[in-house]
Amino acid sequence: MIPLHRQALFFGLLVAACHAPGPGVPLPAPPAPPAPGVAASDTACTITAGRAAGRDTVTIALTEPVDASHAPVPRNDAERWVFGQLYETLMRVDCQGRVLAGLAKSWEQGARDRWTFTLRDDARFWDGAPVTARDVLAAWRLRDSVLAQASAIVSDRVLSVPAPATPFQPFADPRLAVTKPAPGGSWPIGTGGHWVTGGGERGAADMLWAAPLPKVALPVLRLTMVAPNGARDALDEGADLLVTDDAAALEYAAARPEYVDAPLGWTRTYVLLSPGRDPPGVAALRIESLRQAVHGDARSAEESDGGHAWFTELGQCDLLPARDPIGAQARRHRVVYNQTDRSAADLAARLVALGVLGRGAVATGLAPTPFEAALRAGTEGAYVLRLRRRVFDFCRAALELPPWSSAGTIEPLVDVRSHALVRRGFPRLTVDWSGTTRLLPR
Amino acid sequence: MTLRARILLGFGVVVLVPLLVFGLRVRTEMASRLTAEYERRVAALVAVIRADLEQQSAGIASRLAALTGAMAADNRFRIAALQGGDRAYLLDYAGNAMHLAGLSMLQIQDDQGRVVSSGHFRNEYDRLEPAQPRLLAAAPGGMALVQARTPEAPFLALARLDSLRLGRRRFTLIGGVAVDSGFRARLTRDPELLVSLALPTDTLPAADSAGQVVSELTVPFVAEGESAELQPARIVVRHSLASLGALRRGVNLAFLAAVAVTVAIALVLGGAISVRISRPLAQLAQRTSEIDMDRLDVAFHSERRDEVGALTRLLGAMTDRLRTGAAKLREAERRIAMGDLARQVNHDIKNGLIPIRNVFRHLLEAARGEGPDPLAAALRDRQGTIESSISYLENLATNYARLYPPPARELCAVNEVVLETIRRVGEVAGRGELRIELADGLPAVRTDPLVLRRILENLIGNALDSLESRPGAVTILTARGADGGRPIVRITVADTGKGMTGEELNRAFDDFYTTKPGGTGLGLSIVRRLVLDANGALRVETAPGAGSRFIVELPGETA
Repeated sequence: MIPLHRQALFFGLLVAACHAPGPGVPLPAPPAPPAPGVAASDTACTITAGRAAGRDTVTIALTEPVDASHAPVPRNDAERWVFGQLYETLMRVDCQGRVLAGLAKSWEQGARDRWTFTLRDDARFWDGAPVTARDVLAAWRLRDSVLAQASAIVSDRVLSVPAPATPFQPFADPRLAVTKPAPGGSWPIGTGGHWVTGGGERGAADMLWAAPLPKVALPVLRLTMVAPNGARDALDEGADLLVTDDAAALEYAAARPEYVDAPLGWTRTYVLLSPGRDPPGVAALRIESLRQAVHGDARSAEESDGGHAWFTELGQCDLLPARDPIGAQARRHRVVYNQTDRSAADLAARLVALGVLGRGAVATGLAPTPFEAALRAGTEGAYVLRLRRRVFDFCRAALELPPWSSAGTIEPLVDVRSHALVRRGFPRLTVDWSGTTRLLPR
Repeated sequence: MTLRARILLGFGVVVLVPLLVFGLRVRTEMASRLTAEYERRVAALVAVIRADLEQQSAGIASRLAALTGAMAADNRFRIAALQGGDRAYLLDYAGNAMHLAGLSMLQIQDDQGRVVSSGHFRNEYDRLEPAQPRLLAAAPGGMALVQARTPEAPFLALARLDSLRLGRRRFTLIGGVAVDSGFRARLTRDPELLVSLALPTDTLPAADSAGQVVSELTVPFVAEGESAELQPARIVVRHSLASLGALRRGVNLAFLAAVAVTVAIALVLGGAISVRISRPLAQLAQRTSEIDMDRLDVAFHSERRDEVGALTRLLGAMTDRLRTGAAKLREAERRIAMGDLARQVNHDIKNGLIPIRNVFRHLLEAARGEGPDPLAAALRDRQGTIESSISYLENLATNYARLYPPPARELCAVNEVVLETIRRVGEVAGRGELRIELADGLPAVRTDPLVLRRILENLIGNALDSLESRPGAVTILTARGADGGRPIVRITVADTGKGMTGEELNRAFDDFYTTKPGGTGLGLSIVRRLVLDANGALRVETAPGAGSRFIVELPGETA
């Protein structure tokens, strides 16, 4: 027996299918670029380009849990991949920083530093309802009430928004994805090419199914959750796509000719965050040796594309006043890290071996919740953190750092990246600016 | 100190002293034997630990030898170590090898003392630590305790050294097993044996020789960092004497319990024996204290054949002699008193009668004259003398009456007085059977209990005397009666004696009338007077050969 809300959703999808443009309709040409450039139909960010309809179902192996209550704002890479398939923002940014059309087909600069976005004509929710400017503001009101309040509805499909103080990418931030609540409180209703149809066989909680919308040339997604050390098992079990930084899995895939190893961008940077203005002196150490301390694919930390790492630009943001929580004297000689992050543990161990905090210092791994508490308190000697190297809105990303960060010292350690292990013939897969792969119809 | 206290003290000394000597001896012997046993166990454990360390060392040596063989055969390791390629393989090599070999510590150093690969601290590569292999090589037996560093905290390992040559370079392996709490726990399963490890930097608390048995062995120790020389670490084995203390406490408790039980039994036995001895003596003392010249009716009878019985009989004989002497003395006093009184009364009455007799003679002489006038004149003439003499006699009677003071009047329970009298009379009677039939709920009477007792003693004594050594019984009855609406108490003393004739009954209450040999003849006279003084009445029912019933009725008090 199909639940009532699913019957309604299915009916809505049928109605939407009758009115949606066909799969062959090309995306509208991107508008004049307010940001770095205009996306072209090139293959610069394409990993694979198999025929989408060539396979009815593809298996995606995810090494982290996916929680529907987080949608559409991801909290880990697995959620970032899944939510990217389900939800859309007004625009997208590709791996080279070029802006692409999303829910908005065009945008232009208006008077008094405002921008006007025009929604795609065929933009519809999964239930078939057309996406209006009112829906966009309603979605934004849930997660960015300031932006929603400053925006205005010009017409049914046109809205006016204030120009952002930071680069234009914030409109591609998943926080601003357009959704509406679903009956029953399950997955929010989005506008992406897939919608979640339920768990796996026999209701297994470690598996999700996502079906493409009617007449969208995308395969069905079978999303399986694997243990962090089960990447090779996932390959043996026939995964079509696995994003991982496990060196053993990469080495194993290299011996499997049916898989292609596609390195993704250097999207993560490990930093040493220490309270106080006196840096632990990482730069004076043999910092180049840190790269060897990490088991995964790593390089010495480099500046971001804009010239500086975003976390060194926090002065532009309206953050809390700089304040040292307890003073340098009271800190303990511990380098603390999240014990679920192996690279952080490797780096902390190496820093201790190099004597960053002096003789007698130790590295201590904490469970995620105590680690968050310790990070907020700022009472430890230093913290090894993993930060996103590219963020859509670095002022908002800065809010994820502890309040005392602006009074402390952040020293980049290494950049790391993941690899996409893709079965040959996989449908078209591209990489966006945040390093997340995205399945696109041809 | 009383006799009873002395008996108890004697019991205590006799019982407790041997018990105390026995208990102290047991405690001392037990402590010395257990301590010797503990010392043997500690020494044995130290020997076992020494052998275990040597066994562990041999095991580590064989595993390191196997690892050096594997490293020599591993071309990938050779390339990484000598030519600098595949650094990740080199860095992870010691960790993988350490786990495969079952070691807790493995460090591979090059010939300069630089860490090439470390299993317990993967990311300490490139650190210079040449001191550790140098000191380990100098350790006796090639084994030492090493303080190994990890990112989280240093740990102790029992380590050995091995080496291999690859090309022109020599690599040193330092491998060992962790000496943690589990390692120490495996050294002994006995919870009473405590094995602790004292490093040179530790300050162990001073051994409590009174509370522990201690022994130790020394193991070379290599501290973390640039240590200049080997230092001794001590493995200390302690056997707590807590169990001995607990055993002592148990013995003490058992001993105290035994003492308490013994003391209790001694007290009970001593108390019983002392009571058995002292109670008859106390009773004798009590009875003896009751004896005085007015109270010689105390009885001393005993069937015992011991000293107490003999003493009782001696006191009884002495009391009998006293009683006889007192009776003779009272009789003599009575006779003297009666004689004095009779002479005084005789003198006083004569003093009153002489004028009257003289007047009477005068009147007779006047009457022998002629005509009535001389008699009348004489009578008028001597009227004052007669009246003066009569007044003198009346005063005399009043004065004699005052010699006997009025009895006290108080509420008195008749039955209690009857029983008390029976008890006193019965102890000395022995001449016939005494029966009592007492009514319940009698009202109290207002009289002197001593007076009532004297009434009863006289009546019961007379009744017993009337039996004249023949079988018979004297019955005392009490009953409630009424006299015109007022309650009365009726006391009947009945005997089965010879009874009285009518003539004897008429004279029974006269003073100095008696039918008994040696009697005073005052008994019933006194009884009647005492009954009348108590506002009561006395009746007699008697017949010759049918016994007598003396019935005393006293007014009762209304409730």
